[in-house]
Amino acid sequence: MNNDDELIICRCNEVTKKDIVDAIKDGADSITGIKRRTKAGMGLCQGKTCSRLVARIIAEETGKKLQDIAQPTARPPVRPVKLETIADENVAES
Amino acid sequence: MSEFRIIEHPILSEWVEKKEITFFFDGEPLKAYEGEPIAAALMAYGIRTIRKTLKKGRPRGVYCAIGRCTDCIMTVNGTPNVRTCITPVQEGMKVETQTGRGSWE
Amino acid sequence: MVDEKADIAVIGAGPAGLSAAIEAAKTGAKVVVYDENLKPGGQLFKQTHKFFGSNEHLAGVRGFNIGKLLLEDASSTNVKIKLDTIVTGMYKPTTLELVSKGKKWKCEAQAIIVATGAIENSLAFPGWTMPGVMGAGAAQTMININRVLPGKRILMVGSGNVGLIVSYQLKQAGAKVVAIIEAANKIGGYGVHSAKVMRAGIPIYLSTTIKEANGDPEVQEATIAKVDQKFKYIEGTEQSLDVDTICIAVGLSPMTELLNMMDIVVTWDNSLGGHIPLHDEDMMTSRPGIYVAGDVSGIEEASSAIEEGRLAGVAAAHKIGFINADKAEISKYQIRKRLDALRSGPFGEIRKAAKRDLIQLYKKMDYQNEAIQVQAAVVSIAGKTIENEVHLRGYPTIEEIKLSGNISSEERFKKGPVAIIECVQEIPCNPCEKICPFGAIEIGTPITNLPLLDAEKCHGCGLCIPGCPGQAVFVVDFSKEVEYATVKIPWEFLPVPQKGDIVAAVDRKGKAIGEAVVSNVKYLPEYDKTRVVELKVPRNIALDVRSMERGVKCE
Repeated sequence: MNNDDELIICRCNEVTKKDIVDAIKDGADSITGIKRRTKAGMGLCQGKTCSRLVARIIAEETGKKLQDIAQPTARPPVRPVKLETIADENVAES
Repeated sequence: MSEFRIIEHPILSEWVEKKEITFFFDGEPLKAYEGEPIAAALMAYGIRTIRKTLKKGRPRGVYCAIGRCTDCIMTVNGTPNVRTCITPVQEGMKVETQTGRGSWE
Repeated sequence: MVDEKADIAVIGAGPAGLSAAIEAAKTGAKVVVYDENLKPGGQLFKQTHKFFGSNEHLAGVRGFNIGKLLLEDASSTNVKIKLDTIVTGMYKPTTLELVSKGKKWKCEAQAIIVATGAIENSLAFPGWTMPGVMGAGAAQTMININRVLPGKRILMVGSGNVGLIVSYQLKQAGAKVVAIIEAANKIGGYGVHSAKVMRAGIPIYLSTTIKEANGDPEVQEATIAKVDQKFKYIEGTEQSLDVDTICIAVGLSPMTELLNMMDIVVTWDNSLGGHIPLHDEDMMTSRPGIYVAGDVSGIEEASSAIEEGRLAGVAAAHKIGFINADKAEISKYQIRKRLDALRSGPFGEIRKAAKRDLIQLYKKMDYQNEAIQVQAAVVSIAGKTIENEVHLRGYPTIEEIKLSGNISSEERFKKGPVAIIECVQEIPCNPCEKICPFGAIEIGTPITNLPLLDAEKCHGCGLCIPGCPGQAVFVVDFSKEVEYATVKIPWEFLPVPQKGDIVAAVDRKGKAIGEAVVSNVKYLPEYDKTRVVELKVPRNIALDVRSMERGVKCE
């Protein structure tokens, strides 16, 4: 049981299985919900590595089927970019 | 560095001597072939521990090798969070292990 | 950076994206391909094995050579490829926001083809974050693209095609693959791949998973354990393996971030990798003008990615008026025929059914953006299949090969050398039929038919040995000597043996069963790196010997 608790799920932000299970007990039942409570999926890889693992834990804990667990919301930019790149002074001429 | 380099291979094209350069890994001069990914140059020396995590200081290395997972990030020439598995190594490059998100010089 | 306009914008320069771009460009459309990587080709250039399929699918050609052909075609059709360019956003109706080297700009296109591929799945276990644990694809990138070994002693987790193929390639690169473990009770990938890997001395353990990895700071040991039907550990079955690298090959998932941003309807299909964008028979998504192709639209293989790319390219070009309806229909018909051929046989049928269901669902789709859930239909295995347990054992037995009609009679053996084709699973593949100069091998249609050898026509010339992408063909000769026979095997390792070498004769399971003398080694450029090694062995083991090894004592 201890091993499980310490198991890292979100590699970027070092969120453990226990953190996620606690968030579920707290009411989270979606990947986005877990993301907001634990920051799993908010790291540099933006959930690419951990989303499926998080979904699997939600399924285990809540009985929800994997296919009923929605993908995390995606908003631009879908890759980390420097703020100065997307800030207004770099907007190209039309 | 040859221990991990694949010089002879039954399928890949013949080994072509590329330009050898020197870069610095935490201050230590190492040899690499110009343009290969930094992480590959390190792996050629058997160096696989690339950074330490922020919260628990745990060692990390290459995981996806195609620039998606960001586990291979290092501080390169002062810029933190550079994905070393896809960034080409250059002559004189200063590559440093970082903890967590690193910091700007 | 100045904003740009294109007729068709393709996201991803892998096999699907390049193929889409080439087909579209052929119609005269202005096509630009964006790829966030520094080099094009996606995952194609690290595929060093010969592909299956038929002539039109470039069967028998190594993945990286197919990649080279695609790049040449792209260049000759004036496709613009912009590398190191990230598509950070996709906006209605068909506009892209791009970032490259600190600059941002927009591309207004008339149609967009999303070919962003997939990412390897993870498997979390204690110790999985240590250096030394990586995706199987990651190891493949390191050895085949960067020519660096990620470690010396490898544990491969997963026996699907990726796990089997990468294990073989790791051995080719000089690493020792200690074992392949598979949690299910059967091998996931093709029998020809598992046979190749087992006779190369790599064991496959079924119903086995990894319990934990230990080491400081890097992997030094892996503890594996048997699992029951529910994938729970069975106490007392733990085993410790001395490894420095653990490769995870537990499947791929489509990278659909850009599609999710546009509220494109996504469905669920287990056999295609999970969340899949719904698309019609032209590869168009629920957003008009946005197409998908390749792994992002369902995990398959590079060959199907190429065909789906072509389909999307033709469909998009037609939609925006660069090709008339008739021409488009003809092209699409031919592409769909080739796709169907690739999706046949027991492995392919499941994906064919899943894609068919996907397209059906698209037709019924409610455009109010409700996520529709569907289970892929698992079809019963079509066509005749001979009874075999290769998926449990890893290799065929002589009895199973006999059932396929491909072990010659004693009479025939006495007359001279003859081929033995050890291909007992139906996969879409037929280069052996074309390569035999005497027309002794028949497959016909569908190309999933097992090859049948006409032993009377066979001269035992051995061209079929390097011609078979699965390395499943051998030539035996019982006619020359009383006590010995020779066995010709395909060989893709270093060192290449020399005539006169004394080696261990290895059976299908990877076990040394006797001594062999290398009586001949043949190589011609058209063999494309597959050498043909002839082993002289005691007659009574000639039907078992399928490989060789040095420095091994036989039992």
